[in-house]
Parts: sequence; C-alpha cells; structure tokens
Amino acid sequence: MTVFKAFFKVLNKNKSPIILYTIILICFGAFNFQTNDKSISFVAAKPDVYIVNNDTEEGITENLVNYIKDNSNFIELDENELDDALFYRDVNYIVYIPKNYRSDFLNGKNPKLEVKSTTDAQASFEEMLLDRYLKVANTLQGIYQDEEELIREINEALETEVSVELDSKVDVTSLSKATFFYNFLSYSMLAGVIYVICLIISSFNSRNVRKRIIISSMNYQKHNRILLLSNLLFAFTLWLIYVIMSIILCGNVMFTNGGIIYLVNSLLFTIMSVTLALLISTIVNNKDAINGIVNVVALGSSFLCGAFVSVEYLPSFIIKIAHFLPSYWFINTNEIVKYLEVFNSDSLKPILINMGMLVLFSILFIVLNSVISKRKQIID
Amino acid sequence: MFRHNFWYSLKILFRSRALIFWTFAFPLILGTFFYMAFRDIEKNEKLDVIDIAIVDNEEFKNKQDLVATFDELSKGNNKLFNISYVSLEHASTMLQNNEISGYLLVTDSENKIIVKENGVKQTIFKYVLEEIDTTKKIVNDIVTNSTLEFTHYENIYQDAIKLYNESEANIEDISTTNLSYTMIEFYTLIAMTCLYGGILGMTAINKCLANMSNVGKRVAVSALSKFKIVLSSLFASYIVQLVGLFLLLIFTIFVLKVDYGPHIFEVILLSVAGSLAGLSLGLMLGAVFKTKENTKIGLVLSFTMLGCFLSGMMGITMKYMVDKNVPIVNKLNPANMITDGFYSLYYYDTFNRFYFNIASLLIFAFLMILAAFISLRREKYDSI
Repeated sequence: MTVFKAFFKVLNKNKSPIILYTIILICFGAFNFQTNDKSISFVAAKPDVYIVNNDTEEGITENLVNYIKDNSNFIELDENELDDALFYRDVNYIVYIPKNYRSDFLNGKNPKLEVKSTTDAQASFEEMLLDRYLKVANTLQGIYQDEEELIREINEALETEVSVELDSKVDVTSLSKATFFYNFLSYSMLAGVIYVICLIISSFNSRNVRKRIIISSMNYQKHNRILLLSNLLFAFTLWLIYVIMSIILCGNVMFTNGGIIYLVNSLLFTIMSVTLALLISTIVNNKDAINGIVNVVALGSSFLCGAFVSVEYLPSFIIKIAHFLPSYWFINTNEIVKYLEVFNSDSLKPILINMGMLVLFSILFIVLNSVISKRKQIID
Repeated sequence: MFRHNFWYSLKILFRSRALIFWTFAFPLILGTFFYMAFRDIEKNEKLDVIDIAIVDNEEFKNKQDLVATFDELSKGNNKLFNISYVSLEHASTMLQNNEISGYLLVTDSENKIIVKENGVKQTIFKYVLEEIDTTKKIVNDIVTNSTLEFTHYENIYQDAIKLYNESEANIEDISTTNLSYTMIEFYTLIAMTCLYGGILGMTAINKCLANMSNVGKRVAVSALSKFKIVLSSLFASYIVQLVGLFLLLIFTIFVLKVDYGPHIFEVILLSVAGSLAGLSLGLMLGAVFKTKENTKIGLVLSFTMLGCFLSGMMGITMKYMVDKNVPIVNKLNPANMITDGFYSLYYYDTFNRFYFNIASLLIFAFLMILAAFISLRREKYDSI
C-alpha cells in the first residue's frame, strides 16, 4: 500500500501533462467532427467557389453565375480577403467576370474569364465544369441569335442526369471519425503514458530514495510488482477515459463490431505503451531528459505512422520506415475497420496480424527491459 | 565587467544540455517530422488518374460513343482514367477492395455508375458521362437548327462534332504560383524557436536574481551595476538564440527546401525581430513572476505552444479561422506576427503586411522589456 500510495502521490504532482494531452485530443476530435453529413444516396462533390462579377447580373451573365452557383458551393467572402481564402483553401476557385461580358459574349467575341485556382482536384473539377459550360455556350451562340432562346438551349443541353448508385453497407462517415479519433489517440496515449511512467519510476530510482527502499524491510519483488500493477492501473484508467470520450464523440459506431475492434486494438496499444515506457525509464534516469524523449518518441511515431496526417498522404519510403514502429500496426487496424463490411476469418486476418505485431512489440520491450536492467544492476 | 559577464553567460548557456536541446535540436527534429509527413500532401491533393472499371457487356460494346470516349480518356499523358474492362462480379469485388473509385454498368435503359463513397473522383466519373450526353444533344442541335452550310451531307455529324470540339473556353489562370500552404507549418516552427528562445533569456536573468539562485545572491550584494549585468546576460542569450535560429533557417532552406520567397534580407530582419520578441517575453516572465524556475519555464512553454497553436502549427486552418473571425487575437499573438510575416513575404508581392508585423513585434518587445525593467529596478529583499 505504501508503494501504491507513493505512486499516486507522484502521479498527482505530474497530472498537468496528462490533462494537456487529453485536452489536445478532445480539441482535435471535436474540431474534426464538425462536419456531419450522413448520406445514403450519392451526393456530388461541389468545389468551393467565389465569383467576382464586374458585369451587371442580367441575361447570359446571370445564367453563367447561376450555373456556377448550382454546380458548386458558393462561399460568402469579403472581397479584400479573397487571396487569403484561396491560400487557406477556404475557396478552391475564384472566377472574375469582366465588364461587358454579356454584350461581348452575345457579339461572339468569346470574352476571357480570369480565374484563380488552388490547382487541387476540387479546383480541376471546377475548371472542367466551367469549361463544359463555355464550350456549350460558345457553340450554341453561333446558332441562336435571341438571348432568351440561347439561354434556354444552353440550359437544356447541360441538363443531363446520370444515375449513380451508392453501394455501401457501412457508414463510412461515422467510421472515419472514429478512425481519426483513435489514430490521434495513439499520440495522446503514447505521450501521456511514457511521460508519467518515466517520471514516477525516475522518482523511485533517484539515488537517496532507492537506497532507502533497498534497506527497507519490504521484499523488492513485492515492491516491483506493486509498482508494475500501479503503472498498469494508471494506463488502464487513462484508456478507459479515452474510450468513454470516444463513445461521447463518435456515438453508436462504438457499439458495433467495428467499435469492439477499436477497443481491443487500443487496449493492446495501451499495454504496448506501458512496456515501452518501462523500457525508456530503465534506459534514462535523468528527469530533464524525459521531456525531450517523450516528445521525440511520441511526435516521431505519430508523424511517421499517420496519426496526424492520414497514411494515404504519406510518401511510400516513410511508410516503409513506419513498419518498424508499433504505432503503424495500431493505425493500420483502425484504417482497415473504416471499410470493413463483412466479419469473417478472411477479413479479420490482417487485423489479427496487426494485433499480433503489437503483442510482439510488447514482448520485445519487456525482454529488452529485463536484459538492460540486469546489466545496470551489475554496474551499480 | 560587461565583457566578463557576457563571456561567462555565453559559456553557461552553451553548456546547458536541456536548454540546447529545446532551442537547437528540438526544432530541427520537429522540422524533419513536418517535412516527412507533409511533403507529399499537396501532390496527393492534385487530380490523379482515376481508377475505374467498366462492365464489358454487349450493351456497352454496342454504344460506340461511350466506347470511343472512354478509350480517348484513358490514353496519352493527360489521361483521366485507368480503365479495367471486366465482368460485373469482378467490378463489384474491385469496388469492395477499394481498387477502383466506381464502375460503369450499361443496360438497355440507362448508363449507371456504382460507387462506394461520395467524392471528387466519383463526381468526375459522373461528369464524364453527362458530358457524353451533352455532346450528343449539342450535335443534334447543330444538325437540326444550324444555318451553317455543310459541304458533304454524309459527314454532317462529323462536322458538327468538330464544330463543338473546336469551340474553346477562354479561361486564364491569374493566381500566383506560391500556393503551398504547408509552408505555414515551417513558419510556425520558426515562430516556436524564436519564442522558445525566451527560456535562454529567462535562464540568464535568473542568474542575476537574488531570490532565484545562490549566484544571484552573490551578484546582488556585489558592487556592480545591475544594468550592466542584466544587459550583458541578455546580450549573451540573444547571441545563443540567433545562432540556433540561423542553424534552423539554414537547415530548412537547404535540407528541407522550405520556400521563404525571394526576399532574403526581410527573412533575416523578421528572424532577428522575432528572436527579440522571444527574448523579451522570457525576460518579462522571468522578472515579473516570482515563482520557481520550473514554473517560469512552464509559462514560456505554454505561452509559446498556445501562440503557435493559434497561428496554425497543429492545423493550418486554425490560423485562418482566427484571422478571419477574431483578428484581434492574432494581432496580439507574437507567434502569429512571425508566422504571418513569413506568410506575407511568401504569398504577397507588397510589403505593407510584412512591415506591419515587424512593427508589431518591435512594439511587443518594447512593452515586455518595459514591464521587466519596472519590476527589476530597486529590488529589495527582507528575507529570502
């Protein structure tokens, strides 16, 4: 009980980083969860656009503006902030309609439209949309002289409907949220667990405290066992808090088969974090150094394994390096669950392999830990 | 005495391993992580070749216009699609395994696209089919209503298609080329390093404070000008800070290939002003708050992280949201003054915004130094 109490005394003193990592997790979770579009039928992607119209909004000009607004997502912006909005991708495409566009167009001059574009896929698509309209309009302009008739014909030519069927049984949107949350959790968990456990162990290992523990009547095996149990209890509590948060943030998804996989996977990851933290605490005794090591290890594996930036955006050589880090296998399982529809031995096989890797990493860290601590003891 | 204290402060700072890690090594490590994680992100956002499948049934083969269009779109350097012509079952499996974005199923009654999720790629697939419909309508329109003279009646359809394809959309892109938003991450990194430098200034100033260390007590009872001591300590930490910052700048420019725009003099000016702001922040927090050294360091670290968070380090949109909705917060945030200064050098052609940021940083530094000196002068201790 003495060891147990001492453990939580030190923990209480160092609670601020844990609270900090948890707040970061909640912030990012909530920040990312704002968009909530559940869809059962296909919804066309609409690029974000802004139109600067220097012509009067009448006739053919009005028709162009309406076409753009119908097929894209028109964003209300302050005209002084257009460049900033473009840089930060608040808008993908800005169209500048020149003065006298209407009369020039009707006279067959094919007036030039200036645009600003973020050159990403959304912007490219908007360019295709605009391109189609202008080609149709230009072609028909040679045939129909009357503006009203021309507008009617343009719109009729553009009005086509291709049926698109959405063939998916899983709610990808909700599952993506849960995946994002659990991927990010790998950072908070790793940082929190390593930081706290290293600090506490190093407090127990500080020279004078250690001497007193050694000469005390307590059996050292019992002492170590209680210390290990307290560490596990702490990690388990942290895991429970994060799980409850995920249920609050992600809702019902957590009660499906996929949700159970998230839970088991994150529990295995928590255990792995404890073993890694114990290994680090054996190697490093300097309290000042712990802060640096926590940041490098937690940030490093989170960046390289796709906790912050999704794996699909990472360069392939980084992913190869990531295979050597436990976070990769954890995140890989989360990504698989996102698209998992059928639960059978075939579809669960890669997940079991990933979980097996986490267990292997845990064993590896335990073995390394005992080898190194044995050596250190001899030196002492 | 100035030189003596300057030299020893310099030695003390350079020998403190934890300090050097946080101000020199950590930004380099974090910058490398940023580089590895973000370097392909913008490339991946560009429109890629889209993988699709087409169910290779008789109905599809009979529709010549579809066959020709998709054949055209899957050829050449600027091809839009990678097409697999497969059976219905195979297409469905491919979709389930995420090998394709969607597949086309042609039946007698309609052309149907089957997808698994919403997205730009799927929408473009749909767009192409619509485009085929539109072309058909336009060509019919030309043939029936045109007053144009067609030379060979049998070629009337070819001529009409040609007419439509030759009509050109007159669009010109006038956006600047410097649109890489991940650069903001690296700019916040510089901002973080500048403000972290405050720890150096704080450590140096703690050595002069009687309530912080034994050295401080000895300094306090010595017959030396306090102004000279404080100034030389600060000067030493500023030098250390600038060395760290320029190492980072060189590293980001030559190894990580960060683009700071063409104005190198302004980049240096901003770094020097930013470091001064960081130093004065550390000085102020060190002088005004009468607490333990670790708490003071905690203050600098949390202030820096909060500032960097608001200026976009943990998500670039954050800076834009704050700039747009509560601009006053980022106008007062030194981390954002630095980040925004680099951003305006990179993205804008004019210098107004840049010099506004420089002025803000100098005013910030001046206010911090003023607060520090008011609290430092005529210090007396009844007991320590």
